Amino acid sequence: MANIAAARQGDRHPAADAAHAADFAELRSLIVGPEQRHLRTIQARLDDPATQARDVSRVLPVAMLLRKDDPQMTRALAPTVEEALTASVRRNPRPLADALFPIFGPAIRKAIAASLSSMLESLNQTIEHSVSWRALQWRLIALRTGRPFAEIVLLNTLVYRVEQVFLIERDSGLLLQHVKSAAVSARDADMVSGMLTAIRDFARDSFRVSEDEGLDNFHIGDLSVFVEQGPHAILAAVVRGTPPAELRQALQEAIEHVHARTGEALVSFTGDSEPFEAVRPTLEGLLEAKYRPRRRGVSPALWVTATIVVLAIGTWVFLAWSSQSKWNAYLDALRAEPGIVVVGAERSGGSFTVRGLRDPLAKDPRSFVAASGLTADAVSGSWQLFQALDPSIVQARARQLLHAPDTVRLSFDGSVLRASGSASADWIRESARLAPLIAGVSSYDARPLVEQRLRELSAELSKALPMFARGSTAFESGGESVLSSQLERLRELDGLAQVVGQRYAIEVVGHADSDGTPEQNESLSVSRANVVRSAIERLSLSHLDVSARGAGSREPLTRDTSEADKRTNRRVMIRIAGTK
Amino acid sequence: MIQKKICMLGATGVGKTSLVSRFVLSMFSDTYLTTIGVKVDKKTLSVDGADITLMLWDIYGEDEFQTVRTSYLRGAAGYILVADGTRQRTLDTARELQSKAMAVVGNVPFVLVLNKADLAGEWRVDDRALWKMAEDGWTLVKTSAKTGAGVEEAFLKLTTKVAAS
Repeated sequence: MANIAAARQGDRHPAADAAHAADFAELRSLIVGPEQRHLRTIQARLDDPATQARDVSRVLPVAMLLRKDDPQMTRALAPTVEEALTASVRRNPRPLADALFPIFGPAIRKAIAASLSSMLESLNQTIEHSVSWRALQWRLIALRTGRPFAEIVLLNTLVYRVEQVFLIERDSGLLLQHVKSAAVSARDADMVSGMLTAIRDFARDSFRVSEDEGLDNFHIGDLSVFVEQGPHAILAAVVRGTPPAELRQALQEAIEHVHARTGEALVSFTGDSEPFEAVRPTLEGLLEAKYRPRRRGVSPALWVTATIVVLAIGTWVFLAWSSQSKWNAYLDALRAEPGIVVVGAERSGGSFTVRGLRDPLAKDPRSFVAASGLTADAVSGSWQLFQALDPSIVQARARQLLHAPDTVRLSFDGSVLRASGSASADWIRESARLAPLIAGVSSYDARPLVEQRLRELSAELSKALPMFARGSTAFESGGESVLSSQLERLRELDGLAQVVGQRYAIEVVGHADSDGTPEQNESLSVSRANVVRSAIERLSLSHLDVSARGAGSREPLTRDTSEADKRTNRRVMIRIAGTK
Repeated sequence: MIQKKICMLGATGVGKTSLVSRFVLSMFSDTYLTTIGVKVDKKTLSVDGADITLMLWDIYGEDEFQTVRTSYLRGAAGYILVADGTRQRTLDTARELQSKAMAVVGNVPFVLVLNKADLAGEWRVDDRALWKMAEDGWTLVKTSAKTGAGVEEAFLKLTTKVAAS
């Protein structure tokens, strides 16, 4: 310090100068040394970019948070962020796509769902009204006016639809938010917002109303614009149709909500509409529509149409049922008819075809058509001939083949053909030969017929008596003829015996009148019986056993007192004595 | 997206609508001007890399028969005063309209457009008055709605001022 003081007094010396310098340096070091070191450290930090970057990085997040509401900050960052995003997407779009995926997915789904819902609602309306009398009228109107059918439907079914909602800054008329129905095509909302405000100002100026009053609503054609005013913003809803009173209440609540939610942004509004995205869902909630419920009552025209359809269907069903019933009746009749077998039946439209087997003796199938109610033209048949085994058909076949006379009755029980009544022995014999050959006949029973014929022959034999001349074995005139007839009857009897497989005993009894002695008469009657017996035996009848005896005059037919009585008693009687 | 309301003010016949027509594509008919006195158009500009949408309120010109409805000025972020360079009176009207506008919207940016610059031979406005207005801080732009000269510049200048305010 003494050196320093000396120097100040001008007492200078080189050695002393050096000492002084050292002293100054020491003094500086003592006084400002720490500050100098600090300055050097700061200088080093400022000169080192890495250190600077570290320092800035410490304060940058805090600084950005402090300036987050500053539009200049946004503007300053925007180009860099845009370039960074562009470069990132150009280099590899995947990371950005992955980052945005959770946002885009729900947003796209929501937008698509809203559009589909709106479209379906509109489509539903259109479809619901596509097939009715009213729809026809509307189509005519659409044709006449050149407007789309869907629009005509909309106009006639829509009660109301809030098509657009504008949220407008009250003073400037600038658009803060705008939402619209998906089915509506809107013009530039910004300019519409401005003109709405201009019209509102114009009306208020023209009628000199206060600031708090103004245009509440106005109508243009089918559209109405409802305006709800708030302290800083107005809400304008464009409505098609006639909305309920509740819509006004909903608009009031919405504008109140907007002010409550974005009040600060409204007060400090300088043209940035970004903060009002937050109230977009509120505005979208106002986009509602209501359609007239479709009348559920049925129109008279529909009633008439339905009645006609029901009658037509009923008639068709009845005709089909009737036709089917007739067809079934026809088939049942055919199936019930002996000698007819139905093997196939087809129906095609109004025509019928039946296929089967038919016995020639069965009824003609066509004869059943009229009875069933069908027309002959509608039915065609294809029949193959066969021999049926139905009893009635077999019976008819037997009658036909045997040429049975009307006096013969035939019956068939499924295996045995029985004949009754009366018929000649020749026919009986011939039928016995042919009957087993008839299809379906396993045996032939002609006994009733034979027995009847036997009774007849027996009666005939007993009635016809060959007469003899007095005292002689010669026949009186005509006696031979009578004998011949009797012989023929016996021949017939023999034939019947062959048919039934029996042998018959024939007794020939001669008689005489009482003119001679009993012995003479006895002898004469025996002779007469033998004459006839011989005649019979000459016939060689194989199934008849003939015996002869004389009765003398013991068995006269009459009192034998007159010549006529005596003639009657000169006879030979032939009778069937029984079977063996 | 930033939006700004810009009003077009001026005497009748100075060419406001023609200026706007060159600048934007309109949606509404000009008949609105003569009915409700205003027509709104839209134009998007880029200033310092930021897009700004201008909602242009073309307000019917003021003359001896009617005055501008000042209610249309409410909320404007700026305005363009249009005068006809061939008619000195329109400059006076512009000055009066500026006073009215200021009373409604306050001290917001504005630009004075001297239209019909293509009619240089018929130019009647007092240059000294223009110098005076410039000295008072007014931004002046000469335009021609006919040729388009200066139109874009005028809107850009106003937009820049509005964005910076």
